[in-house]
Amino acid sequence: MTTGRARIELLVRSEAGDDFRVTKVESSLAYRQARPQRIPEAQYEVAALRSNVRRSTTYVVKNRLTEKYIELSEAEKFLWDRMNGRTSIEELGVAYVLEFGAFDFDIIHGLIDKLQRAELLTMRPVSRLREVLARNRRNPAARAAEATLRALERLTVGSRSAHEAFARVYRYGAFLIFSPVGVGLLILVTALGAKGTREIWHTGGDIYAGFGQHPVLALVLVKLFFFLTLISHQMLHALALVHYGRRVKEFGFTMLHGFLPTFYADTTDVFMGSRRARIVAGISGPLVHLFLGSLYIYLASECGPGLMKSFLVASAIIQSQSLFFSLYPFCFLEMDGYHVLVDWLGLPRLKSESVAFVRHTLWGRLRSGMRLSREEAVFVGYVVLSTVSIAAFVGLNVWFLVHTT
Amino acid sequence: MAKSTDLRFLREVLLFKDLAEDEEAAVWASLEERRLRRGDVLFREGDGGKELFFIRSGTVVVSKHVKGRVEQVITRLGPGDFFGEMSLFDDQPRSATIQAEDDTVMYGLDRANLDRLIERNPRAATAFFSQVILVLIKRLRDSTDLVAEVTRWGLEATGLDVERPATGGM
Repeated sequence: MTTGRARIELLVRSEAGDDFRVTKVESSLAYRQARPQRIPEAQYEVAALRSNVRRSTTYVVKNRLTEKYIELSEAEKFLWDRMNGRTSIEELGVAYVLEFGAFDFDIIHGLIDKLQRAELLTMRPVSRLREVLARNRRNPAARAAEATLRALERLTVGSRSAHEAFARVYRYGAFLIFSPVGVGLLILVTALGAKGTREIWHTGGDIYAGFGQHPVLALVLVKLFFFLTLISHQMLHALALVHYGRRVKEFGFTMLHGFLPTFYADTTDVFMGSRRARIVAGISGPLVHLFLGSLYIYLASECGPGLMKSFLVASAIIQSQSLFFSLYPFCFLEMDGYHVLVDWLGLPRLKSESVAFVRHTLWGRLRSGMRLSREEAVFVGYVVLSTVSIAAFVGLNVWFLVHTT
Repeated sequence: MAKSTDLRFLREVLLFKDLAEDEEAAVWASLEERRLRRGDVLFREGDGGKELFFIRSGTVVVSKHVKGRVEQVITRLGPGDFFGEMSLFDDQPRSATIQAEDDTVMYGLDRANLDRLIERNPRAATAFFSQVILVLIKRLRDSTDLVAEVTRWGLEATGLDVERPATGGM
C-alpha cells in the first residue's frame, strides 16, 4: 500500500555532458508545472448558451474528431482559453484568482479530468460500467449483465452515414417543411383537425363501434401503425439539423431503456447551432404528431361510421397523446419539450440539479428561513410540477380504470 | 599481490563468499581495478562490454535515458554491490548508464576470468551463480515496484482520475 505523493528520481546532465545533477520530482509538483494544451483549433468547436435564469453563459465544446461534447461554465471557459501548452497549472491558478478573486484547486482538477475524458486534451476515457463488469466476470450477475448489455447493443441498428441521405432528402423537397409553405400547411391541417374534432364531438356515439367484435386486436393494430409513424418524428429532428447546417451523426433503431423499441436520431450537433436551431429541432419532431393527428381526425370526420372511422379516430388520439407527452416538460423524463425548456432557461442539467436541490438543500433552507434564489425557485418549480403531473397522470388512469370496469 | 584488507573485502562480496583462500588470491589477481571521480561515466546505455563490476567504495547511479539530457534514476549501488552482469551473460549492449555519484573504487571481472573460476572450482561457481540469481530476483521485484510507482506518479501528475465515472459529457 503506497501513501503520500509518488516521487521519481531524475538525472539531468549538464549541457557539456561532463556533469549531472539528480533531482527528485514529486507528482504534485509535476502536476502544478504541467502545461495543459487543448487540441488544435480546427479539431474543436465552441458554442455559447445564454441562461435566462442565471443571467450567465455556459459553453458547449465539441470535439470534431470524436464527436464528444462537454459543457463549460464561464470560469471553466476562462481556464480552457488559457490551456495553450505554455501556461502551467500553477499559472492558471494565479490567473483564476486574479480574475475571480477566489480559488479552489478542484476546479482545475475537475476541468482537466473532464477535458481528458472528452479527448480535448489527450487521454481516452473508458466505459466505467463495462470496465467493472469485465473485472467481475467471475460473478454470475455481472456476467449476465454484461451479456445482456451485449445483446441489447446488438439490437441497435444505426447508420453513421445517415447525414448524406437526409441532406439529399432535404435537397429534393424536404426543405419545404421549414419554409412558409410547410408552416402554412401545418396551420391548415391543424385547423381542419380542429374542425373535424368538433364535428366528431358533436356527432357523439361510440366511435370504437367500428372495431366490431375485436376491439383489442384493432387497438394493437392502431399501436403498430403508430409505431411506424414514429420514424417520421425522428426524421423531422434530423431534417431540422440539416436545415440549420448541422450534422446528423447517427440514425437508427434501438431498444430505449433496454426494452422500448424506438427509432432515434443523434441530434447532439445541434448544441453547436443557434438557440433558434435547437428549439426548431426540438419541436419539429412532436409537430409531426400534431400534423398526423389533425389529418386523421379530419379524415375521420369525413368518413361514414365503420372500421376506417374508428381506426382514424383511435390513431388521432394516440398521435395527440404523443404530441402532449413529447412537448410536456414536467414529468422527470427528458423528452423534446424538456430539452426546449432547458434551452430556454439555459439550465442544461435542470432535472438532476432540481432533484439534488430538493433532496439535499431545500429543507435546510426552509428551516433556516432563507429566501430562494431565482434559480432555486426554478428547481423547486420543476420538481413540484413534475410530481403533481405524475400524480395527476396516475390518478387519472386509476379513475379511468375504476369507472370503465 | 593481494593485501589482507583486499581479501577481507572480497569475502564481504556475496558473489565470492564460498571461495577457498588460494582461490581468493587467484580471483583477486584476475580483477581489474577501476577508479572513478564524481561525475565520471563508467559506461553508457547502448555501449558494448562484457565485464561485471563490484564496488569497493563510493556510490554509482544507474540511469536510463528518457529524453534530451534527462535520464530516470533506476537505482543506486554502493560498497559490496555488483552490476554489469546482464551484458556478461547475454552479450547485448549495456542496458543502462553507470556514473559515479562520489569518488568510487570498483573491480571488473571479465568473461574469461569467470570461465576460469567455473573450471577450477565448480562449488564456488555454483555459489556465485546462486547469488547472481538472488540479486536478479530482487532487482526484478524492484523493477516491478518501480513500474507501479511510476504509473502512480503519472496518474497523479496528469490529474487523471480513472476511478471516477465520466462526467461533464452530454
